[in-house]
Amino acid sequence: MGSSTLLLLLAAPLAGTLLLPLLPATVASVRVRGIAALFGALQLLVGLLCWQTPPADLQLSWLPKLGLRLDLGLDGLSLPLVLLTALITSLSILSAAADQSRPRLFFSLMLATNLGVVGGLLARNALLFVLAFELVLIPITLLVAVWGGEKRAGAAVRFLLYSAVSGLVLLAAVLAFAWFNPAGPLFAFEDLRQAQFSPTAQRWILALLLLSFGLKLPVFPLHGWQPFTYGQTPTPVVMLLAGSVSKLGAYGLLRFGVGFLPETWAAWSPWIAAAGSISAVYGALNAIAQNDIRRLMAFSSLGHMGLLVLGLSAATPLSLQGAVAQMLAHGIIVALLFACVGLIERKTGTTAIPELSGLMNPLRGLPFTMGMLLLAMMAAAGIPGLAGFPAELLVFEGSWTIFPRITLVSLIASGFTAVYAVRLFNRVGFGRLDNERAEWTSTCWSERAPAMALAVLVIAAGLWPTALTGWSETESTGLALRTQPFLSRSAAQPLSLAAAASPLIAVTLPSASELRTS
Amino acid sequence: MTPPTATAPEPVTAPLIPPSTHRYADVIHRLEAGGSMLPDTPENLMQIIGIYKAYAVPMDFYWRDLLYIAEQVFLDPLPAFKYFISQEYLDLPNSYAGDQSKLRIWRGGEKAHPELLEFMANGEAGKMPKLLHHLWHDRINMEFAEACMEAMLWHQDMGGRFYDYLDSDAYRANADRAIKAYFRGNPLMLGLYRLFPEMFMEQVKKMSYYANLGLFWEVMAPVFFEMSDIYDEGGFSGVPAAMDFLVNGIFAVAGRPIYHHVYIKGECFEIIPKSEGFTWLYEAALPYVEAVFYRTAPFRGTKSYNAQAYQVPSDQADFHYGILYADVFPVGSAGIPPTLLMQDMLHFLPPYLVDLYKTHKRGEEDQLIQLGITFQRSMYNVTSAVIQALRDALLYPLDDTDPEHLMANRRFFEAQMDRFLRPEARLSQIQTQDYR
Repeated sequence: MGSSTLLLLLAAPLAGTLLLPLLPATVASVRVRGIAALFGALQLLVGLLCWQTPPADLQLSWLPKLGLRLDLGLDGLSLPLVLLTALITSLSILSAAADQSRPRLFFSLMLATNLGVVGGLLARNALLFVLAFELVLIPITLLVAVWGGEKRAGAAVRFLLYSAVSGLVLLAAVLAFAWFNPAGPLFAFEDLRQAQFSPTAQRWILALLLLSFGLKLPVFPLHGWQPFTYGQTPTPVVMLLAGSVSKLGAYGLLRFGVGFLPETWAAWSPWIAAAGSISAVYGALNAIAQNDIRRLMAFSSLGHMGLLVLGLSAATPLSLQGAVAQMLAHGIIVALLFACVGLIERKTGTTAIPELSGLMNPLRGLPFTMGMLLLAMMAAAGIPGLAGFPAELLVFEGSWTIFPRITLVSLIASGFTAVYAVRLFNRVGFGRLDNERAEWTSTCWSERAPAMALAVLVIAAGLWPTALTGWSETESTGLALRTQPFLSRSAAQPLSLAAAASPLIAVTLPSASELRTS
Repeated sequence: MTPPTATAPEPVTAPLIPPSTHRYADVIHRLEAGGSMLPDTPENLMQIIGIYKAYAVPMDFYWRDLLYIAEQVFLDPLPAFKYFISQEYLDLPNSYAGDQSKLRIWRGGEKAHPELLEFMANGEAGKMPKLLHHLWHDRINMEFAEACMEAMLWHQDMGGRFYDYLDSDAYRANADRAIKAYFRGNPLMLGLYRLFPEMFMEQVKKMSYYANLGLFWEVMAPVFFEMSDIYDEGGFSGVPAAMDFLVNGIFAVAGRPIYHHVYIKGECFEIIPKSEGFTWLYEAALPYVEAVFYRTAPFRGTKSYNAQAYQVPSDQADFHYGILYADVFPVGSAGIPPTLLMQDMLHFLPPYLVDLYKTHKRGEEDQLIQLGITFQRSMYNVTSAVIQALRDALLYPLDDTDPEHLMANRRFFEAQMDRFLRPEARLSQIQTQDYR
């Protein structure tokens, strides 16, 4: 397939971003929504074609004096995230209310966000990545500021400040890459991979990268914007923000940190793992204490990002594969969670846990929505058979041999997920539905459809984990900084973790003698 | 909150006694004016009459099957087919309807209602073997009727002489004869009877309550059919008129004998003979209202109670799990499981109620809840009729001019309303049309 296919991945959201505002004001909101979703679907279709026939990299000169080139490419790390972004963009657009206010601008900004994320994922040039990274900031800020909740102004400002710092620090890191590169100011990924940075330079650059991507993910203690912003952001936007945009931070850590600064990453990895573990515990404990579903989801997301960081820090083939799987699994799970929360909010008018109860009531509650929420919560808690399980299992398996104590703490944090999931469901799903409040209508199939599609994916990925892990086998093995002790014997062979004969995940557990020798 | 569109008529002359200061003073004044606990609005009238009709059709099955179980199934140790009523009992002529009846008050026929027969033949699922209808619960849910019967048995001492009689020597002798006759030629069961006589006696008492409730509902079914017909003819002026019809009906059949006969191999055993003089009002109607409308029992639905934390009263008289308190909203709440009855009534709703439900809440989707709340309204009206009937029987007329008599009536009404002071009572909710 020609390299121009990669341009199509960008052209679809760009066209949508530019064309939607030009639609006549008389076009009904629901139609604008449908047209916007089509652009996302087109991008998804092109992405699937790229999966079937990988396109060649595209290299075009853009601003040569600045070293900015339009270098685009897809590999096992970026392709699944592009597909995830295209999918979540389409479904989040469809999750918007049929009577979405100012739809042309709203959906245009949604597609602009997509453009930024996909641009970052396709970028093979650090400056281009920064450009795309910064591009995301503008539409999200506007989406929060215009369509957010009661405190949208504060949320938008806070998001803007944190994201601006994140973007500036990333720019500084990329410039530092050029500054400290003995081969000269080069920004192409291939050049950066081969560059020999001094240990001091590596430390400075990695510190900047950790700050930038840590803000984006986010991880503790850089998460100050997240609960507030997630609480005020419109449902479709928060689906995209939590499901896809935040993964840009994880992708950046993997691509830049693990990929370009391996020695320093390996040296700092215990501290990074500790930060991930603290995030996991802090996020889970805070989630237990929340009285608002959106804030609960925000802290839950923080916890799961902590697990992701743990997998990245261990940097074994298994843990990196787990980290990529966690990006995908968390993407669809958190999108499903927010899709359900959005439906609850749309019908009941609130996400305050104390005000909600008995929503499982089959006649006047929201039983279908609650069923899907339960599924998503189970997946987030790592119940086998659902998407969260293989991802978390791989992270823990891969990290255990490197950081046993930290992994153990993270495992406990993962257990807390079940606590807040059960607590939430017990309070919101069960109990008595207040007759005086239950004036809402039931959800219709068109409202349920996006969440249903995500629910199907959550189940499918749980039963067929290769869907999560298969993409990144080659790349994650190549990026690994450490060997997996009990897999080292077969390290020469391609890691074939999920491509086992069984449709369910099959991890080769070490024998007792192998553990002793390791 | 939407107020009722009609209230009690304003008294023309100065009142002889001061206004009540009770929390339910408005309701008490309405009762003193001859009204019902349920506000008099056209919609309330439509709701209660419509639901009486929907209730009467399954009730027409309940009473027949209750009598079938009490008189024919009796002590069958494996009564798997007790809900498969015999044709004889399905065709049993109602004693208070039809040309053959001894007391022809109401116009309906003596046969089972045609809508009931139609539903029994086809159910919701269409024609299929009767056993499949049964297993699929595509049938009249007799479990509801049995739950009512068990509430009456369990609460025991609610006035009247019926329960005391079940411990009398005469009753035990009659029951003993019936037990021995029923298990004649069955040494195993007779041996068990010898070993555990009280267990068998308890089962017979239960059968007597089957008969009691069956005889009670045999009267109520034609009353409700008649009310529905009158309403269709435009005959009721309002809720109080419907309540008065019930009061008059109660008095008309108050003396109906309550008995328990068992038929064993063609021979009739009079376990409770008619000659004992038990009557419908005191031995069936009042205990039924007390046991089923007010008390019943916890632990029947999705809501659970912690008895050790004193969430269940130690005194049975304080139980408050009946339909007047039941939370119809979460399906299968405490008390008599209204879900089963609601499901039964759903099949026989008159068109005007279906249309009404379509215009509120979720329309057809949640009409099960809407009809449950309508049923609650209607039972407040029935309870009002019972309260007025008791006041009529025990105290003074409403138009009495003696202030002391009126104060006695006031104290009676206030005592009745005290039972609804607990937060679970739905009396305040039914005062508005917002409660659906």
